Amino acid sequence: MDAALVGILGIIVLLIVLFILGMPVGFAMAVVGFCGFSYVISPQAALNMIATDLWSTFSKYGLTVIPLFILMGYLAFHAGIAERLYDAAYKWVGHWRGGLAIATIAADEMFAAICGSNTATAATMGAVALPQMNKYNYDTRLSTGTVVTGGTLGTVMPPSVVLIIIGLQTEQSIVKLFLAGILPAIVLGLLFVVTIIVLCRLYPDFGPAGPKTSLAEKLKSLLGVIEALTIFVLVIGGLYFGVFTPTEAGAAGVLITLVVSFSTRKLTWTGFIRSIGDTLKISCMVYMLVTGAIIFGRFLAVTRLPFMVADFAASLPVSPYVILVMVMAIYLLGGCFMDSLGFLVLTIPIFFPLGIALGFDPIWYAIILTMVTTMGAITPPVGVNIYVVKALAPDIKLGTIFKSVSFFLLACIGSIILLILFPQLALIIPNAMFD
Amino acid sequence: MPILEKISRLMNHAFIFVAGTFMVAMILITCANIVSRLVWVPVKGTFELMGFFGAVVTAFALGYTQAKKAHISVDILVNRFPKRVQKFLNGINSVICMIFFTLAGWQIAKLGNTLRTSGEVTETLRIIYYPFTYGVALGCFLLSLVLLVELAELFFSENGAT
Repeated sequence: MDAALVGILGIIVLLIVLFILGMPVGFAMAVVGFCGFSYVISPQAALNMIATDLWSTFSKYGLTVIPLFILMGYLAFHAGIAERLYDAAYKWVGHWRGGLAIATIAADEMFAAICGSNTATAATMGAVALPQMNKYNYDTRLSTGTVVTGGTLGTVMPPSVVLIIIGLQTEQSIVKLFLAGILPAIVLGLLFVVTIIVLCRLYPDFGPAGPKTSLAEKLKSLLGVIEALTIFVLVIGGLYFGVFTPTEAGAAGVLITLVVSFSTRKLTWTGFIRSIGDTLKISCMVYMLVTGAIIFGRFLAVTRLPFMVADFAASLPVSPYVILVMVMAIYLLGGCFMDSLGFLVLTIPIFFPLGIALGFDPIWYAIILTMVTTMGAITPPVGVNIYVVKALAPDIKLGTIFKSVSFFLLACIGSIILLILFPQLALIIPNAMFD
Repeated sequence: MPILEKISRLMNHAFIFVAGTFMVAMILITCANIVSRLVWVPVKGTFELMGFFGAVVTAFALGYTQAKKAHISVDILVNRFPKRVQKFLNGINSVICMIFFTLAGWQIAKLGNTLRTSGEVTETLRIIYYPFTYGVALGCFLLSLVLLVELAELFFSENGAT
């Protein structure tokens, strides 16, 4: 059988294994990749390949950055840093109409700067902000949507696990990717705020104004921002100025967060142990996703399918942007049916070479893929953030959350359009730092 | 079967403790390296040790992560099937993954044997590293054991794990 046909068959089998058997994404990619490689090359070569890939991926220095940044986020969560960020944002804008929702986005943006995961950001801010918004009679169509979508900032704003994975899979500089994510994350956050303001204009009952606070209270609340700001500046600053590598930045971030949290007596021993347990679980899942994608990628590479797809797309007599829109549509659709991180890891071996063949800047293209992937985390029926918030607010109907999220999808699409129209949004900081 | 379940649970607890300890060691080594490099010279072999410790952290957490159902899967369609079908599919799922990780563990152990018999050492520290390779193999075997327990639960428990 033609190798490319085997590659296509492999993808079909993978989809069946994923959707019908419900096999974990990382395992499914590894198993199908192993079987396909056995068929195309030989069973013995496939056995050697899985041993070498599992060992070399698990022991890869570059990947050790993943557990470290995840641990940093969990420590920050257990130390209550998110609560103090929210409190500060709330004191400054809580008295506006929709102010609590805006405060949630502002706190999300700041927390995302020390936490690399969208679900962790959504879970953290959901636990902190939802009770407050309920207390001030915020409509659940605004409050849940704010928390669900605000979590996506964790993916775009550095440090981000998604950006680390893209960097490792595509051999792009993680530092450049981190720098490139800053402005798009700010733009996305601002568009969320605009959405909240417009919604509260149209439906004043959605977000009644909260109580006013004095200037003294406002200034005092800024103390809560200092710890997060210190961690962000030291970690990201150290990275940018070459004091440490991404992995070292992760370890330093953990240590700084620990020092800050223990010195302020905000982190308990139980919180520390829980952070370690949660980190091991999540990072093992991410490692398995990456390993599965590498094994599946090896199979696809021997079938030469990704290169054929890239060559075919590059030869099409249409603008590269038309193909980009098609790729984004595939990501959006894929994100609707499976976990967005899993889908990203699965498709990078096919769509990244395609983007490069079309002549796109790899850093910009990676940020575009990240932004589209984040949308997948909030689109029904498999938007992972939606279920995180549903778990936090079991009384609220899933349909209400879906409706609530739909208001914010326009902001997500708007930010992607802006990024396509103005690629400098992503490239200006890394170019300025490295050229 | 409760014995198998108990063994799996105890082993997972022990392994996750080791994984957590290695993770803390990773943070300490890296931070020591940053400080040492800034004031004097880098700590020799940090790069190598970090990779090996990372391998232990991940491999030793494999079973625990599976036991906690933390590996992401697409259950949108599976959840719509009748319970009996779900149970059947879960069984197939466990068998396939169990075979795969047993094969992987066996092959990685073979790789460890090769490294041991050839006396392979690391480039900087000149230390043997096959024990870490065996560690990864052990992690794969523990994951297989967890999958076996899940499979056994499907057969022996009233409701089965769906």
